[in-house]
Amino acid sequence: MSIAESSFRYVADLVRRETSMLYEPGKEYLVEARLLPLAREAGDSDVDVYVSRLMSDAAERRKAIDALTINETSWFRDNAPYQAFTEVLLPRAIAANQATRRISIWSAACSSGQEAYSLSMLLDQHLPLGWTAEILATDVSTAMLERVKAGRYSQVEMNRGLPATHLVRYFSRVGSEWEVSADLRRIVTTQHLNLATTFPPLPTFDIVFLRNVLIYFDLDTKRDILRRVHARVAPHGSLLLGSSETTLDLTDSWEREAVGRVQVHRPVQPAGAFGLAAPTRAAV
Amino acid sequence: MHALIIDDSRAMRSILRRIVTDLGYDTTEAEHGQAALDHLEAGLVPDLCLIDWNMPVMDGYQFVQRVRDDARWRDVTLMMVTTESEHGQIVRALAAGAHEYVIKPFTPDAIVDKLELLGLLVAEVPA
Amino acid sequence: MMLEGPSFTDLHAVVDEVWTTFLGPEDPLLPALPDTGLGEGVTWSAATSVTGAWNGVVTIEIPDLVAQTATERMLGLTPDEVLSTEDVADAVGELVNMIGGNVKSLMPGPSALSLPLVARGTIASPSDLTEVSHLDLTWAGSPLRVTVLARRDAPAHTLDKRESA
Repeated sequence: MSIAESSFRYVADLVRRETSMLYEPGKEYLVEARLLPLAREAGDSDVDVYVSRLMSDAAERRKAIDALTINETSWFRDNAPYQAFTEVLLPRAIAANQATRRISIWSAACSSGQEAYSLSMLLDQHLPLGWTAEILATDVSTAMLERVKAGRYSQVEMNRGLPATHLVRYFSRVGSEWEVSADLRRIVTTQHLNLATTFPPLPTFDIVFLRNVLIYFDLDTKRDILRRVHARVAPHGSLLLGSSETTLDLTDSWEREAVGRVQVHRPVQPAGAFGLAAPTRAAV
Repeated sequence: MHALIIDDSRAMRSILRRIVTDLGYDTTEAEHGQAALDHLEAGLVPDLCLIDWNMPVMDGYQFVQRVRDDARWRDVTLMMVTTESEHGQIVRALAAGAHEYVIKPFTPDAIVDKLELLGLLVAEVPA
Repeated sequence: MMLEGPSFTDLHAVVDEVWTTFLGPEDPLLPALPDTGLGEGVTWSAATSVTGAWNGVVTIEIPDLVAQTATERMLGLTPDEVLSTEDVADAVGELVNMIGGNVKSLMPGPSALSLPLVARGTIASPSDLTEVSHLDLTWAGSPLRVTVLARRDAPAHTLDKRESA
């Protein structure tokens, strides 16, 4: 049994768009090997049937990407967003929350939790004494959420993008793996959440990381997700998307602000709120 | 940019050499810490040293100690690449002056990530 | 007296990580069928010792074909390029070095890892060693075996794998 050329091309395109990882002709067997278990789980007779399922099923697309991009995650992925977090977004949130001395962050589509824990390391280093912070890590996959709760990573995962000083400071060995310290795990809470459906009750967030996940959804759903996220971001808050993503063609309710090498999205308040008119969209 | 690759395994030196030459580095190899030190004493000034821990004659930890003690080599970046993966060993190496630490087994991406953290990715990679 | 060794799961995780990282993920490491030997023909064996809070030896035994393929991959050679015995011994030694080093970190410390010993053929185990764990695996159709032995006359220590941050 071998995967149809059209199926392979679809999958290769999907992976390339999302991760820049290339599955070139010759690698069909690898795609097949990695998708076959998922196809079986979904009840499909073969990979081609499963691939046609992928075209309309965002959750399965997510699983497929995960299976096809093994070891593609890393700590402080792309680096620039984390720099923006430390240098601008966190100070901004601190300035706005002097009364509560509390920061609330959402790591949406958190996968195995490296984003959430990367942020928790930065909070440990930069949050002033006497302040508390909470990172809500959500994902549609309960298996992923279990991984985040456990906070354990393989040696190969630990090698990716994590300064050695952070490794020794925030992790300890457990068997063949490394486990995030209890202090950092306390900052991160997990919750099951499907972005494409109505959100459960959520706090108001100072900072939202929604990186590299909108791509899985069609245009209408993207708009809907952004609308619902908008309602959960504080007026002074920020939204970070993936490096190649933007709200530009999607909605007027976010302003884009360049912070270092990243685009930060600020929620535009409705006209009349706080006595301000809705600002015109800045030329990009 | 120049990398000094220090490992008693030719296979491992070959793996590391391929990774950094793909990134635009020139390389020199040494089978153990003493041979590496001899290169430095002879005037080699690498930007980066990739250092195994367990080697005959002089191990990587001793090499790091010797290099960090010497003002001539203050600007050389020292990255351990080793199977020694106990928490305490990593702490020791960093305390002795290693700048970064990669645990074997590692993927090429891991080395690239670390070099990016250290600001040691060559700006222009030859075609 | 209970002799300690790494759990089967941990040992498997270590070998799997070493293998897939350096020898490619294309051919997975699979469990061997029961009672499969290492086949006829030349076998390479390599061993590394751990001395300290835990005393043991980690060995790998692989048929010539596996050793040669592994060497080609690690050295980045094409299948038609000639491999010397030194090349193969070196690559096999590095594989046992990586597996042994990671096994060492699973066991109580502190301890030291010896330089690898590689032989074409079998390395006979000294009589004071007892096998505590082994994996019989298949890779791309060929068998291989990883064994962990512990020294009988070394005192047992309470298992304490967690090190403080």
